[in-house]
Amino acid sequence: MLQDIIGSQTALFADGVQTVLRGHENRNRRVVLLKGNLVQNSRSEARGISARVNRNGTFGFASIAEYSPDAAAQVIRAATENAAFLARHSGRDLPLPPSPGRGVVPLNARIADTEQKAIIELCQTVDRYVEAHCPEITSRTVVYTEDSQDRIVYASDAFSGHLVTPRCYVYVMLSAESKAGVPVELFKAFGGFGSFADHFADPEKMYPEIDKLYQRLMDKREGVYAEAGYKTVILGGMMGGMLAHEAVGHTVEADLVLGGSVAGPSLNKRVASDLVTMVDFAHTYDGKPAPLPVYLDDEGTRAEDAELIRDGILTGYMNDRESAQRFGVAPKGNARAWTFSDEPLIRMRNTCILPGRSTVEEMIASVDDGYYLIDSGNGQADLTGEFMFGVTCGYEIKHGKLGRALLDTTVTGVAFDMLRTVDMVSDEVQWSSSGFCGKKQPMAVGMGGPHMRCKITIGGR
Amino acid sequence: MREIRALADRFDTLLADAKAEKYTYTLSESEKQELNVENGGFKLMRTVFNNNGSLKIFDGARMGAADGNDLTEEGLAKLIADASAAAASSPEDPCHDIAPDQGRDVFRQGVYEPDLDGFVARIREFLDTVARDYPKVNIMAAIGSFDRWHWFSRNTNGTEFEGFGGQYGFSIEFSASDGERTTGLDYTGFSAKDLDRPFIEMGDVRRHLEDIQNSIAPETLTGKFEGTVVLTPGCAAEFLYMLLSNYIGSGVVMEGTSLWLDKVGQQVADERLTVSLKPYDERIVNGERGTGDGFRSEDVTLIGKGVLKTHWLNLYAANKTGRPVVKNTGFDLVVDPGDTPCADIIASVDKGLILGGFSGGEPGTNGEFSGVAKNSFLVENGKVKCAVTETMVNGNLGEIVKHIRAISKEVCADGSSVVPYIAVDGVVISGK
Repeated sequence: MLQDIIGSQTALFADGVQTVLRGHENRNRRVVLLKGNLVQNSRSEARGISARVNRNGTFGFASIAEYSPDAAAQVIRAATENAAFLARHSGRDLPLPPSPGRGVVPLNARIADTEQKAIIELCQTVDRYVEAHCPEITSRTVVYTEDSQDRIVYASDAFSGHLVTPRCYVYVMLSAESKAGVPVELFKAFGGFGSFADHFADPEKMYPEIDKLYQRLMDKREGVYAEAGYKTVILGGMMGGMLAHEAVGHTVEADLVLGGSVAGPSLNKRVASDLVTMVDFAHTYDGKPAPLPVYLDDEGTRAEDAELIRDGILTGYMNDRESAQRFGVAPKGNARAWTFSDEPLIRMRNTCILPGRSTVEEMIASVDDGYYLIDSGNGQADLTGEFMFGVTCGYEIKHGKLGRALLDTTVTGVAFDMLRTVDMVSDEVQWSSSGFCGKKQPMAVGMGGPHMRCKITIGGR
Repeated sequence: MREIRALADRFDTLLADAKAEKYTYTLSESEKQELNVENGGFKLMRTVFNNNGSLKIFDGARMGAADGNDLTEEGLAKLIADASAAAASSPEDPCHDIAPDQGRDVFRQGVYEPDLDGFVARIREFLDTVARDYPKVNIMAAIGSFDRWHWFSRNTNGTEFEGFGGQYGFSIEFSASDGERTTGLDYTGFSAKDLDRPFIEMGDVRRHLEDIQNSIAPETLTGKFEGTVVLTPGCAAEFLYMLLSNYIGSGVVMEGTSLWLDKVGQQVADERLTVSLKPYDERIVNGERGTGDGFRSEDVTLIGKGVLKTHWLNLYAANKTGRPVVKNTGFDLVVDPGDTPCADIIASVDKGLILGGFSGGEPGTNGEFSGVAKNSFLVENGKVKCAVTETMVNGNLGEIVKHIRAISKEVCADGSSVVPYIAVDGVVISGK
C-alpha cells in the first residue's frame, strides 16, 4: 500500500487557488483459463502523483508516473502553470466554490496481496468443477481479475485522507450449442469489494451458482427469440441496477445536466411512478457497507448519499464542487478519478432503486403474457434517457408462469417514460459491482435494484 | 524523455542476473498535452507523463507476464520478480512463445514536436465554426490531445525495435437542442499528424454535426419491417469489428465456437467486400509496427472479395490450433470502397434506415445483434424522411455481409481507419 510521503509538499499550494494533490496506485492481477489453457497470467501496478488546480473556474492538471516528494512538487508547479496558461484562453472568471469542510478521513480498509500461484490454483479448481459438472457445454472460460485502487488525497481547503478500494472477481463463462448448431453463452461473476481471501477461501461456495448458470444455459440452448414490440416485463434486480445506473444515473450527473440532459428541466417534477425512489449511496446501504464504498472523493469532499428520486419525483443531481456551487447545493463526494493520471469527473458510486413490497413470485404470477428479464450483458443511455440493455438471460411469462428461455435480445425505452409504467416493485435488492462505467475514464461502480414490473420495448425477430 | 535504450540495456543486465534465458519486453514513455472544452469553453489543461514496462518471461514451457509504470531500478527488479513468479506458477504449455528474430529497426511516425499554439487556434476555429454553421449544436465536451511516445522492444530471439510516434487527436461529444427539445448524444473524432486542415473537415465530423442538427424532432416508428440499413462509416467499422471478433478472432477459433471455423478459402460475404488491416496505409496516422507477439507488423487482408483469407490469430492461438499466425495485432481497418455514390445508395432504398450509431448488446458467437438505432434516419422510396427514436435493429452479422446492397465510393479516413458506407439488406427494424 502507498506510504504517505507527499503530505509535506502541501506547503507548495499556491494562494488564491484550490489545489488537490493525489498519490494513487492501481493494481491489477489477471488469470484467464480458456478450456483449461492458461491464456493470460499477468500482474501489473501503475503508480503516480497528480495535482489539480482550480483558478477561478479554469483548471490545470498534471501527473507523473513517479511517487516521491520531488514528483509531488513537480506536478503542483505544472498544474499551477497549466491553469495559468489556459486562463489566458478560457475567459472563465468564476468564484471558487466554498470549502466542503476540512478534516481527515481515516483509512477505510487494507489491500492484501495474493501470490499468482494461489490465483491460478483457484481458477484451475473452478475450471475442473465446470468441466466435470457441465457436460453439455462446448467451451468454458474462467477468469480471475483484481483491480484495486489506493489513494492519498490532500486538498488545500477540504478533507484529506487515505482510501483504498480493493476488489476482485471470478467470472465463469459457459458456451453451448443449440439444436440448430448456433452457439449460446452465459456468464456469472463472483466476488466484490475486498481481497482474494475475503471471497475465494472456499471455492465450493461458488458451485451452487455455477450449477444454476449451467441449468440456465441448457434452457437457453432450447431458447426462442423474443417477439419484438412494446411488452409487459418483469425486470430482474440486475436489470433494475443497470436501469438505475445507465438510464437514470447518467442523466442526473450534473455535467450532463449542464450539457442538456432530459433531467435539466425535470427537477422537482414527476419522472417515475410513486413506487420509485433512487439513491446514489456513498458507503453504506441498509446499515452495511455498500458494494464499493466511497468515503472521500478526489476533490477532498467527504462522501454522503445523494438522493436522486423520491417517490417518483426527481429531487437532485450528482455534483462535483463546481457544479454544486452552480446549482446552490452541497457536493456529496461524486468527483472521482480512476488512475493517477486521470482528473476527477462526476461519477456514480453505488446507485440503487430502493425495494418495494411485492414478492418476485407474485409479480411473475401477475403477468399474463410478457417476459422475465434476468440479466444483462451491457447497457448504454444518452442525454434523452433513451437506453439500451443487452439481455443475456430471460424467460417468457405465459399465464403467470415462466415459459421458454430467451435467446439474446435487447430492450430499449426512454427512462422517464418507462419508469412511469412501474407498477410493482419487489421487496429485495440485488447488487452488482464487477463492471466498469465508461466516461472518458473507466470507473468501478456499484449498481443495484429490485425486480420491477413495467412496460418496455423489446427487440426480436 | 529519458534514454530508453540505456534503460533497456540495464534491464537486460538485471534479467541476466535473474538467470532469465527467454523473455520479451517493451519499455515506453509517453507525454500527453490535453485541452478540454466543456460546453463551448476551455476548462482544463492536462499534462500527463507516463511510463510503461511490460515483460514476459518463459521458464521452460511456462510463461508469466508483468507490467508496471515504475522504470526505476527497483521497479524493473519488481517486474522481473513478478513475471518470474507468475511463470513459476504457470502450468506448462509449449504454445506460449515469441516470434523468431525479426531483425532490428527504428520506426518514426506522425509528429513528434507539437505546435500547441496552432492546436489551440484550430480548436478555437472549430468552436467558432460550429457556433456559426450549426447554432443548435452544443459541443458538450471537446478534447484536443497531443500525444507522443517512445518505445523500445527487445527479445531473446534477437529482435530489437524502437519506435517514436506522435499525433494530434480531437474528439467531441455533442447534442443539439431547440427550446426544451434535446437530441441524444453523439460522438466523433479523428487523429492527425498535422494541423493543415480545419477540424470540421476532418474524418466524419461535418456529417455528424449536420445529422445531429437534423435530429431534434425524431419520430417513433410503429410495428416492424425487414429493410435496408445503410451503415455510416463509423457504424460499419463497429459492425466489422464485431464480425471479425466473433467469427475469426483467436478466442472463438481456440474455443471452436467460430461459425467460420472451416471457412478459410470459401466465400463468406458479398464479393464486393474486402476487409484489411493496413498499418502501412498512408491514411493511417500511427499504424502498428510490431505485434504483441514480437513480429514485424504486416498489412493483411482478412476478407478479400468476399472470401475468407485467414483467421485472425495471434501466435499462441496459432500454435494451439495449428493454423497460421497473422502478423498484425492492431486494428488499422481499411475497407475497399465500392463504385456507388452514397447519394445513389440512399436513393435506391425502398424502406430502411441510415444508421448513424448503434447502441446494442455485445453479439455472441452466433452473430445475432440487437440494438437501438441512434442518430439515425428513416428512408422511404429513396428519400430521407425523418430522424427516428426508440427504433431497434436486429439481424445477424454473418448474414448481413452476404446481403450487401452497395458499398459507397466515398470513404471516411479518420486517422485510424478508412471505411466507406455499406448498405445491407435483411435487417429487422422495429419501433414501438
